[in-house]
This record gives sequence, structure tokens and C-alpha cells, in this order.
Amino acid sequence: MIQSTRPAQYGFAERWLPRLVLAPSFLLSLVFIYGFVVWNGYLSFTASSLLPRYEWVGFHQYARLFANDRWWVAVFNLFKFGVLFIGISMLVGIFLAILLDQKIRFEGFIRTVYLYPMALSFIVTGTAWKWMLNPGLGLEKLMHDWGWTSFTFDWLVNPDMSIYTVVIAAIWQSSGFVMALFLAGLRGIDDSIIKAAQIDGATLPRIYWKIILPAMRPVFFSTLMILAHIAIKSFDLVVALTGGGPGFSSDVPATYMYAMAFTRGEMGLGSASAMMMLLSVSAVIVPYLYSELRRGSR
Amino acid sequence: MAMPALPAARYPNSELEKKMGALAIKNVTKSFGDTHILKGIDIEIDDGQFLILVGPSGCGKSTLMNIIAGLEGPTTGEVHIGGRVVNNISPKDRDIAMVFQSYALYPTMNVRQNIAFGLETRKVPKKEQDEVIQRVAKMLQMDHLLDRKPGQLSGGQRQRVAMGRALARDPILFLFDEPLSNLDAKLRVEMRTEIKQLHQRLKTTMVYVTHDQIEAMTLGDRIAVMKDGIIQQFGSPQEIYERPSNLFVASFIGSPSMNFIDCHLAEQNGQIGVSLQTDSDARFLPLPNGQRLAGRVGQEVILGVRPEQLDVAHSDDNVAAISIKVNLTEPTGPDTMIFTKINGKEVVARVHPRDAKGPGETMRLALDMSKVVLFDPKTELRLE
Amino acid sequence: MANNNKWARILVYAVLIYAVIYYLLPLYVMITTSVKTTEEIRTGNLLSLPMHITLDAWRKAWGTACTGVQCTGLSLYFWNSVRMVFPAVIISTTMGAINGYILSKWKFYGSEIVFAMLMYGLYIPFQVLLLPMAQTEGYLGIAGTTPGLIFVHVVCGIASTTLFFRNYYVGIPDELINAARLDGAGFWRIFFRVVLPMSLPIVMVTFIWQFTQIWNDFLFGLVFSSGDSQPITVGLNNMANTSTSVKEYNVDMAGAIIAALPTIFVYVVAGKYFVRGLAAGAVKG
Ligand SMILES: Nc1ncnc2c1ncn2[C@@H]1O[C@H](COP(=O)(O)OP(=O)(O)OP(=O)(O)O)[C@@H](O)[C@H]1O
Ligand SMILES: [Mg+2]
Repeated sequence: MIQSTRPAQYGFAERWLPRLVLAPSFLLSLVFIYGFVVWNGYLSFTASSLLPRYEWVGFHQYARLFANDRWWVAVFNLFKFGVLFIGISMLVGIFLAILLDQKIRFEGFIRTVYLYPMALSFIVTGTAWKWMLNPGLGLEKLMHDWGWTSFTFDWLVNPDMSIYTVVIAAIWQSSGFVMALFLAGLRGIDDSIIKAAQIDGATLPRIYWKIILPAMRPVFFSTLMILAHIAIKSFDLVVALTGGGPGFSSDVPATYMYAMAFTRGEMGLGSASAMMMLLSVSAVIVPYLYSELRRGSR
Repeated sequence: MAMPALPAARYPNSELEKKMGALAIKNVTKSFGDTHILKGIDIEIDDGQFLILVGPSGCGKSTLMNIIAGLEGPTTGEVHIGGRVVNNISPKDRDIAMVFQSYALYPTMNVRQNIAFGLETRKVPKKEQDEVIQRVAKMLQMDHLLDRKPGQLSGGQRQRVAMGRALARDPILFLFDEPLSNLDAKLRVEMRTEIKQLHQRLKTTMVYVTHDQIEAMTLGDRIAVMKDGIIQQFGSPQEIYERPSNLFVASFIGSPSMNFIDCHLAEQNGQIGVSLQTDSDARFLPLPNGQRLAGRVGQEVILGVRPEQLDVAHSDDNVAAISIKVNLTEPTGPDTMIFTKINGKEVVARVHPRDAKGPGETMRLALDMSKVVLFDPKTELRLE
Repeated sequence: MANNNKWARILVYAVLIYAVIYYLLPLYVMITTSVKTTEEIRTGNLLSLPMHITLDAWRKAWGTACTGVQCTGLSLYFWNSVRMVFPAVIISTTMGAINGYILSKWKFYGSEIVFAMLMYGLYIPFQVLLLPMAQTEGYLGIAGTTPGLIFVHVVCGIASTTLFFRNYYVGIPDELINAARLDGAGFWRIFFRVVLPMSLPIVMVTFIWQFTQIWNDFLFGLVFSSGDSQPITVGLNNMANTSTSVKEYNVDMAGAIIAALPTIFVYVVAGKYFVRGLAAGAVKG
């Protein structure tokens, strides 16, 4: 059921103007988003390589994709990255939000500090962390100077560990943002519930665990969606920090797609990997949006 | 308070129709999907009348108002204003002004700009605009508020500005959607009087929505009592008060509410009447011209008695009176409410404080049998 | 009990301050590194304070550093970004405002579908658009130009700006619009005289959001621009990843700060709105 009234609209202006004015945005997204999704989907079934070649090859590109080690490295990297990045960002963000909600002095300043990394480009973050994690002169040297001479930190150049440097930098950039979202959520909770629980003799950790965190479910889910979105889109950070290397050990689907489509002349493979990304995002987003829109219109 | 005559601001096209501000709503229905909000509304009023739409919350009053204004379209049916069908005419061309339930003042404009907005849109010359604003401000005593933003006004002041905005135009029809419901009791009574005076002065047709039955009774020339999207009764305040067409109208209009006593219609000594029983008495009270009900003798009926129709019996003779035991009293100042039980039902009587007895005591109450009404318990309609 | 409480509070403050240091350290490292000489970087460590402050690295990053084959510093890229970001932000914010107004106050049969379409567009991984968009821009002759880049940012930005404005406008009571209609105002007049003057907070939020998104974008810059239209993020990445014999981290850091300055400036000046907007818009949407 549609809740809010559609106003009675009279005459040409009222009846057609809104549609006319909305039309450009509608057409833009119809053609340049949905049309392009279809186009890209079509490309993924063709033999396109350096240039588009509209010669139907069925699922050939997908078969190649699934047989490609580099693709699976990228997928597993995204999986590792996603789980760690989302999990730790959430924990750090929620923890800091709860601490910051304890009537802290200088809260405004502290909040600003926690959040400023979000204003930075991932390229900036990547460049900065690349320097700090540099095996020769960065963190390692610092520890040596401080007397811990056996300390080694070579994750940036270690194929087994390189993806985790991306995790470290991404958490630094985004956990403050999670904090801000949760703090806003905490502030939205009715004070009287907490007071009532206190009067009932509940301890503070118990109040948080039993009353406040459950009330934050919606915030939790939307934050999860946003972080997942950042994770799947993550491209810039990987490029700036590791360039996908060493080798392709820190590739993620986004960098894989770029490499195939624009540097390796494997357009078909690139479009097929993009379709896989779209499909996995849709598997999560479509049910979420559906429930959101239904809830919104009730 | 002093009320200077309204400015005769002139707008294109309105002059011709000025004479015919009558409103007719013909078989209007409104549905949102499967929910039917209005189920066939018929109302017709004359030029210059004050129509009240009254009914409980959610019965569709605002919806009907919006349909009259053209802000929503009816699902079926016709709306006539000034003798023409306006179904396909946009709100701005219907020549109406409306005061909204939430006032709907433009928050970023000051009071002067709020009032001027409609004039500007209608291309009234600047000089004339200023005159209108001055006169409206004077009439509503808000000269000193003109440069404030709505956020800086009290509820009552906002209400005045909303009225002022409507009055700045000189429409053929005013619509008020619960304009007083957000005010405190005292201000409400004052504004009620002002609106009444305004109407007497302007003589413009007005439609006024309320769920306050006192407002309905004091302001209206005609009242439409609504429930569940149906007009329960449409008539003058007196008609509705004295001859409510059904149990709902009878209970909704009047405060304290009408008493409903379950009883049997019986015949004694050739007279048709009802038997009443209290803790201390039992009586058969004949109904004047009860013969019209001869066919229903022996059936259950509901006797409707307004509290003021139950007064102290000052003499023993010739009155339909019954002795009761007082359970509780509620002095209101001019009157005292006496609570008792008749036929097992709680009943309220409104008596002069001088005559009131205390709880536990007995007193004799006289029923004004010429005014009581009877309802059929099944159909809930009044028995003619 | 009171004592216990005191210690608990001290602990809370200790953790918060520790976190402050954690978030600030990279900034500290960036700034100090950028004013050191290459020599000092080799001899000192991450946290050591610069002995002699020099702006050489800044000068080099801005004017003469090599980004791939050419050595013209980041200034070129910086101005490219400036030229791109303002039109893109203004166009997408304007369209978002009008769309939000229609989708909340002038619904029509099918407008909910348009809204759902835009919402889904918000989540589509842009990788699916890259190849067709590159082809199309080629046909249209705007490939590798600033207008081409602006176009992509507008197309992909409409969804979020529309969502921001729509969520905000849903909170404006319909009665206000109705009052204006009775006052004789039409679609545009209501928008410009009634709705827009109430929109300052959301305009700020959207502007800041779009500004940081577009300024910080790298993917579109990389794919849809070339030579004289590349944005600062691409320039910085090229500079930092150009393999020269000696890695000049001071220049990299100066470049990183230059690339970050506009968004940090916007964030410091209007951060209050930023936080509020992210919270309101993001949590809802
Ligand atoms: N767009 C809509 N969609 C569905 N139902 C609606 C819509 N608008 C109003 N209603 C329903 O119509 C009924 C009548 O609403 P209306 O606002 O006319 O009531 P009202 O008599 O003015 O009440 P109140 O005294 O509270 O103002 C309500 O039950 C309301 O829920
Ligand atoms: Mg109402």
C-alpha cells in the first residue's frame, strides 16, 4: 500500500511537469546504469579481447574466469579482507562509540580526530601507509631504533601477508566512521529506558549488552551494508598500497577486473568478472533493499 | 474586540462568483486502494452559511476538506463551489482559503511574507499587498508580530497568522481544519468567539472541521456529524441536539453525554410508556403521544435522556418523576452533576447546586418526557 | 564504589586518548616526513622530529616531481581536479534536490519505481559500467576529457544526492506544500520559494558528501581521463608508484597532503554537517 498521498494534480503543468523534470535522471540511470549493465553482460558472452568483438561465445569467458588462479586469489583476498575489515572496524567503532558516549570532555575534538581519515582519499591513505609499513625505513626501522633489533615487518613485500596491510590501512580509515554512525545511533536511544534499567539495578555493561545494543540493530545493519559496499568496491587502496602485488598476491576482484579490461586486453574476462561482482552484490542488496522499501512504504 | 470591516481586495475572476459561494458535495467517495475512507458524502449548504464537520479522529474529516480544496481528488462524486463543478479545477483556481490543522506557516518567511506570499503569487500590486497586510494585522491584532519568523511565535500567535494568511485573500469559501485543536482551553474559547464574529462580519461561506462538539454547537449554522466516512446526520445544531438520528450522534453531541437507559415499552391504563426502576423507587412513565409506538409495545427500547432533562421535581403533581438514591455528586459551579442508577445503568442529572443532595441521600427527579428520545437497540436509529 | 568509578573513568580516558594517538600518528608521520630531507629520512626513523625543516619536498611535489614520464609535479593534476569537482558537485546536487522534491512531494504513478531504480543504482559495483562507459565516451568524443569525467560523476552521483534530498524532504509536512498550492504557487514556485529555503542543512551535507566523493575518486579518474584531464588522485598514485632510483618519501608525503588538503579543509570547516549528514543519510538509507 502506498502511504503518502499522491496529490491531485491538475492541468498540464502539475500533471506532466514532475514527470518531465524527473525524466533526465530516469533516462540517465536507465541508459548509463541499467543499459550499461546489460551491455557489460553482453560483452561477457563475447570473444572481446583488446577491442570489443561481438561474437557470441556463450559461457566461455566465465569458464576461463573460473579456471583462472589469479581470479580465485582475488576472490579469497576479498573474502579475507572483507571479514577482517568489516569485523574489526565494527568492533573498534562500536567500542569507541560506547566509550565516547560516557559524557566525555572534549568529545567534539576526539570525534573529529577519529573521523578525519574518512575525509581522505584511499590513495592518500595508501601512500601514507605504504611509507609507514615500508620494510626498510618504516615501522621496522623505528623498532630497531628503539632497541628491538630482531623485529621484522615485511608484509608489504610478503605475498602471504600483503593483503593484510590493506586490512590495516582500511581499518584505520573507516573505523572512525563506524564510530560516528553508532554514536549517532546511541544518541537516538531514549534516555528513559536506560534510567529505568538503572533503577532496576542493572549494571552498565549489562545495560549495553541487553538493552542498548539490541536497539541498535538497524544501525548495525546499515553500517554493515556500507562497509560491505566499501569492501567490494575497494580498488584505490589496493592500487596505492600494494599495487596488487607482490605478483598478484593482493589482488581483489576490482583490481583484477581493471587489469583484465584495461591493461591486459582481456575485455571479455574483465566484463565477466564485473558481472560476478554485480551478482554477488545483488544477492545481498536486493533482499535488503526490498525489505527497506517495503518498510519505508508502510 | 473591535473588528474593522474586511478589506475588499479584488482579484481577477473572483468578482462574478462572489455571489454564489454555496457548496455542494454530491455522493463523494474516497478510497486509498482497498481502504474506503469516505463512503458517499452528500452535503449542500447555502451562501454565507457556516458548516461544521464533526466526528471522531480518523473519520475522514481532513480527507473531505482536502477534496473540497482540491488537494486530493475524490474517487467518485462531484464537488460544486459557487454553482460550478470544480472537480477538474486546480486548488489555486477554486478561490478558497484554508487554515490548516498544523497551521502550515512557511518557516523561512516572516509573518509579513507569509501573508504576502499568496498575494504575490496572484500578482497583486505591491501597494495593495501592503494595505491588505496592514488591515489583516490590525484585525487580528498582530501588527507587532509582522517581522517575526513562525519559529519565534507562540502557538496562539501562529494560529492567528494562519488565520491572517487566509483572510488576506478574499475568497468565496473559507476552509478551517481544526484550527483551534492545538491551543489551550482558554485561548480556544477566545478564538472561537473571534471566528464567530468574523463570520458574522464577512458573511463568507465557511467549512470548519472539529472534533470538539462544543465548537460544533456554538459556531455552526449547519452541522454534519461524521463517523467511519459516513454522514450520520446533517442539520442545524438544534435539530442535531434535540432529534439525534441515531445513538452515535446522540452520544457524540452534548456534554456530559446523553444518558441511555435500557427499558421495555409497555402499556398501562391505555397509555404507552416505559418502566423505570431505581434503588428506591419503580415507576411507569407515560410518553406524550405514545400512541405512535403502539406497534412496539413489549419490545426493548433505549431511552435517551439528556442530563438537563433530569431535573429536581419541585411538586408532586402531574410530573413524570422518580425517586433516586444519589451515588456521587460532581459540582461544576453553575450546576451539580448527580450520579445515580436507573434500570441498572449509570445516569447523570444536571441540577441546580441548591437542589443537590449528598451521596447516599435520596431525591426526586422529574423527567422531561416531551424531550426524551427513544432508540431501537438493534438498528440504533431513533424511533420517530 | 566511588573509587572504582574513578578508575573506570581514567581507563576510559586512557583508551580514548590512545585511540586519538592511533588516528593522528599517520598524519604526524606524513607532516614530519614531508619537511625532512631524503638524507634525514634515511638516518632518522618514522617518529623522529625533523632537524632542519625544509619545504623542498613540497616544492618538488607541487612543481617538478615526476609522474610517469613527465615531470611537472602535482599542480597540473590539482587544477584538473578543481575544474572537475565543482561542476560535477553542483550539477549532481541540483539534480538530486529536484529529484528528491519530486519523489517526496509530487509522486505520480511509477515514481516509486524510479526511486527503487535509483536506490539500486547506489549499490551497483561501478566495474560493470567501466567498459561500456569507456566505449560510449569514445563514440561521444568526450573520452579522456574533463567533461567526460564530470559526466560519469554526475550519472553515478545522482542516486546518492537524490536519496539525501528525498529523505530530508519526506520530513517536510505535506500541509506546507498544500498551503502553497492554495496560495496559487505551482511546481517551481513552491520549490524555489518554500522548499529550497528550508534546505540549507541538506544542501550542505550533499555538497560536502559529493565533494569528498568526487575529489577522492580514483577509479573513474584512472579509466576515463588522460593526460591533461587526470585528477589529483591519479597524479599522486603515479608519482608515488613511479619507479625512480631513489624513493623520495618526503615528496610522496607532501604530495599526499596536497591531495588531502581540500577535503580536510572542507571537513574541518563543515565537519559538523558532515557527521550529521552521514549519520542521518547513511543510517536511514
Ligand atoms: N494516503 C492515505 N492512505 C491510506 N489511508 C489514509 C491516507 N490518508 C488518510 N488515510 C486514512 O484515512 C482516514 C481518515 O483520515 P483523516 O485525516 O481524514 O481523518 P480526520 O477525520 O481528519 O482525523 P483527525 O481528527 O485525527 O484529524 C484515517 O484512518 C487515515 O488513516
Ligand atoms: Mg484531520
